Amino acid sequence: MDLFSFFLWAESSFLGEIGKTYGGVYATFGQSLHLTALAILGGSVLVADLRLLGVIMRDVPSEVVADQAHRWFKVALVLIILTGVFMAAAIAQRMYYSPFFWAKMTALATGILFVFAIKRPLLKGSHDQIAPWVIKLTAVASLMIWFTVAATGRWIGFSG
Amino acid sequence: MNAWLLQVAEWLYSTTWSRSIEESFYLYNWIETTHVLTVMLSLGMLLFIDLRMLGLTMNRVSAVKIANRLNLPMLIGFAIMFITGLLLFYAKPVYTIQSIWFRVKMGLLLLAFINALVFHRRMTESGATWENEPRAPLNLRIGAAMSLGLWLGVITTGRLIAYDWYHCYRDLPAWLGAVAGCVAD
Repeated sequence: MDLFSFFLWAESSFLGEIGKTYGGVYATFGQSLHLTALAILGGSVLVADLRLLGVIMRDVPSEVVADQAHRWFKVALVLIILTGVFMAAAIAQRMYYSPFFWAKMTALATGILFVFAIKRPLLKGSHDQIAPWVIKLTAVASLMIWFTVAATGRWIGFSG
Repeated sequence: MNAWLLQVAEWLYSTTWSRSIEESFYLYNWIETTHVLTVMLSLGMLLFIDLRMLGLTMNRVSAVKIANRLNLPMLIGFAIMFITGLLLFYAKPVYTIQSIWFRVKMGLLLLAFINALVFHRRMTESGATWENEPRAPLNLRIGAAMSLGLWLGVITTGRLIAYDWYHCYRDLPAWLGAVAGCVAD
């Protein structure tokens, strides 16, 4: 099955039909829950990255902050992807043809790859062993990537 | 009361700057985007404070310390939310004042604010005795849980303001029309 057929199928699936038919369900379980997950995800990224940059909570070990923030990041990521799939399914064809949707998917993939292949492996152990500039660069990169995900996401909304 | 609110809203609507914001190509969208994305800062920080009180994160770090450290970035976030929120209201005052979701959101915001004040006072008074425990005492855990619930409501009702399912030009039951601020012409 090619990509376009998959999007067509998604729109006509049960999930897509629910989202299309019931605007209230779409707005609460789709959009509002997606925004809630955004608050959790953004919060976990900000708490960790601002600590790594030495802006907040300087008297709490950065290992603890990064570790704990990552736990909630994962929870938020699952929720945000589930709600995102629900929203996209209802308007799948339009999303297939939207350059903003694909920009966001690219940013999201980059973010996920960055967190699980670079940031997390780097920060799992003791932070004393890592050069400070590496830590700060990681934090700045993380903030830029996730801000891009959020911005491209909002842009989808403007591109009706 | 509703008639008076509508009058004020209509007057705001008639001012030049209100028209400039709503009719501008980019400005309204920038203000709205800032309002939505700043939620990551304001509620993100508050979330971690509430989670700590409930023992769900960083529970080997003093709860009072976490609350005090995250307080400033949280308040900066809320300041931005407040300013952008005010501007959004100012750009579409009539639509917003007569939105049932907006009214419920303001009620929830007020409750969340009061809850936060009460919480902060109780935490400051008793914090030294339990700050290194994994969880805060029951009454403060209830406050933290209420905070989470109220803010979930704020996010949801905030999103729903954009939908006009229950706006005054619809066929509404009398009580709903009154709560939403509809004025008979």
